[in-house]
Amino acid sequence: MINDKNSQKIVDIIQNFARQHSLWVLAYGTGCGAIELPPTMTSRYDAERLGVRGAATPRQADVLLITGYLTTKTLKRVIRVYEQMQDPKYVIGFGSCTINGGMYWDSYNTIKALDRYMPVDIYINGCMPRPEAVLSGFAKLQKLIQAGKADGAKKYKENLEWYRANQKNVIPNWRMPEYNW
Amino acid sequence: MKEILYYTWGAIVSFVVAFSVGITYMGLNRKITARVQNRYGPPWYQNFIDVIKLYSKKTSIHHGVMHHMGPAFIMVTAVVSLLVIPILNGNKFFPNLNFQGDLIFLLYIMVFGPLGMALGAGQTGNPNSAIGVTRGLSQMAGFEIPWVMALVALMIQYKTTSIVDLMNVQVESGRWLMFSSPFAFLAAVMAMLGMFRYAPFDIVGAPQELASGPMSENGGKYLFVMMSAGSVFTFAKLTLYVDIFMGGADNLIILVVKTFTLYLIPMLYGITSPRYRTEQSVRWFWGWPSFFGLLAILQAALF
Amino acid sequence: MKEIKKTVIEKITTHFKEVTAQQHDGNRVDFFIGKEEIPAILFFLKDEMGYNHLSHIACVDWLEEKEFEIVYIVWSYTDKIKIFVHTRVERENPVMDNVDMIWRQANTYEREMKEMYGIEFTGLEAPEEFLLEDWEGPPPMRRDFDTEAYAREKFWERPGREDARDVRETIIERTGEELPDFAKKYKR
Repeated sequence: MINDKNSQKIVDIIQNFARQHSLWVLAYGTGCGAIELPPTMTSRYDAERLGVRGAATPRQADVLLITGYLTTKTLKRVIRVYEQMQDPKYVIGFGSCTINGGMYWDSYNTIKALDRYMPVDIYINGCMPRPEAVLSGFAKLQKLIQAGKADGAKKYKENLEWYRANQKNVIPNWRMPEYNW
Repeated sequence: MKEILYYTWGAIVSFVVAFSVGITYMGLNRKITARVQNRYGPPWYQNFIDVIKLYSKKTSIHHGVMHHMGPAFIMVTAVVSLLVIPILNGNKFFPNLNFQGDLIFLLYIMVFGPLGMALGAGQTGNPNSAIGVTRGLSQMAGFEIPWVMALVALMIQYKTTSIVDLMNVQVESGRWLMFSSPFAFLAAVMAMLGMFRYAPFDIVGAPQELASGPMSENGGKYLFVMMSAGSVFTFAKLTLYVDIFMGGADNLIILVVKTFTLYLIPMLYGITSPRYRTEQSVRWFWGWPSFFGLLAILQAALF
Repeated sequence: MKEIKKTVIEKITTHFKEVTAQQHDGNRVDFFIGKEEIPAILFFLKDEMGYNHLSHIACVDWLEEKEFEIVYIVWSYTDKIKIFVHTRVERENPVMDNVDMIWRQANTYEREMKEMYGIEFTGLEAPEEFLLEDWEGPPPMRRDFDTEAYAREKFWERPGREDARDVRETIIERTGEELPDFAKKYKR
């Protein structure tokens, strides 16, 4: 009865509705994009009315928001944060730096494409994206979740070796704990 | 046999009522906070969605046995205190495991949850959790004193340690205890501000400073248990206050009106307040609230 | 202001023989001195003349002259004057005197210079890594380090930015200026 296909469908609809309307964001303020989040969260744009709310730790968060460029040094921390998050988890790449390097395209320690190292569900382009763009990115993510297509975490699990190889390519001394629980 | 089934069914219903009312109160808290801050705010049912989402998250965190037990301790505390506190005046369907001395029992059981949580948070090894636990326990030492003083004053004055007896006193005399022993009420309400851990006493789980303190390693289903336990406990505490000081309630609607009125006090005080440090909040609790508690004991003993 | 600058220059030139002074507009005086005398002149500035605030230590890579120039910028709260003390070290195996016993915060600047330019400071007590973690290439702020080639080799690049080019070329195209000779060699 409980593993019936139709009842699973109903459960999926309820779960996706809940996941879609309750996005707890862990804002990893790497670059200049972190300054766009206070106006997004506070009274001018008020992301809380969409159910978007700040989470304090990676354990509680659903969305990892990467706001700007990532140096190899920060990438290490971000990978650790991402692997501590609980399924289902989503990643939003924020700003052109995460897409193609942006203005740091020739920097010696900045990665140029985030999706080589982590699965990204939504990119928000712009340098910097305004709060309207951020909100529209969240709305797009909500649509993807509703359709059940935001499966970055699944992709990460399936292609873990490829992602690990890329990560180890830019982080030569890999001294990271293995989160295999 | 039939009686047992009847009471079990009543216990389940009272839990569901407490859960939904408490979680609605928390959602209303978020909405009212947003309106005060000139925002639109989430819908009032936002916390229901959050709870469903937290339950549907996969959770694979393992730090040890106590870490798994911590949220359970909080849930046990919430449910036990809900079952001990009489919900309605003289109603048999909502069972209360009422007995002589349950006020003293409540004093102990309400501390049990935070202590269990402290053990659980200690085993996670997260430094934020440990700091949050020390702050939480020292803050508890702050508000427990006026709270115990208020209850002791009531016990002395009416020579009983049973909540039902206190309710009967109010029904018979027709006067709420918040008018006949106002100092005890003042001390208890001030202690309630700390019990709810809203601002200015929210340094225990401050998200910006401590990464939400004791629950920083708890995500997904753990947080679900803690959130639902928090909502049940909110309702239980508010019902206890209504029972003791505001004459109880004859039906659920009056109970909701009274508890929400009471709930507005910590909520509105929290929205308009900045955050205290631990020693500031302890000093606050050991100042005027304890003084009122002392006055209440004097009033009870002398008059 | 002018008199203060004059007295400062007089005092320094009488105490240190091999120093050349240069006046600037505003509250700035420059001194050029050999690298052996640096601790002496900084001690003198701090203890005798009250220049007790170290604003910055900067490094300039003079690739064509095969030298690094290190600039110590100090400030006096009474004179309200900045003093720039310049010195040069050779680019091959650069070694410099450590001055963090004069100002503790010099340690930070020296660690950064050690990492970014590869300058050795004698007796510098500091952990190995500062800003760069797991760095295996040459010191990245040296001008002969080609950051673009390094980045192209190390980091995967998304196709579609092949037209990205040096900002200097755009400036030349717009203004019609000529690129100086020394810069042409390192043009991308």
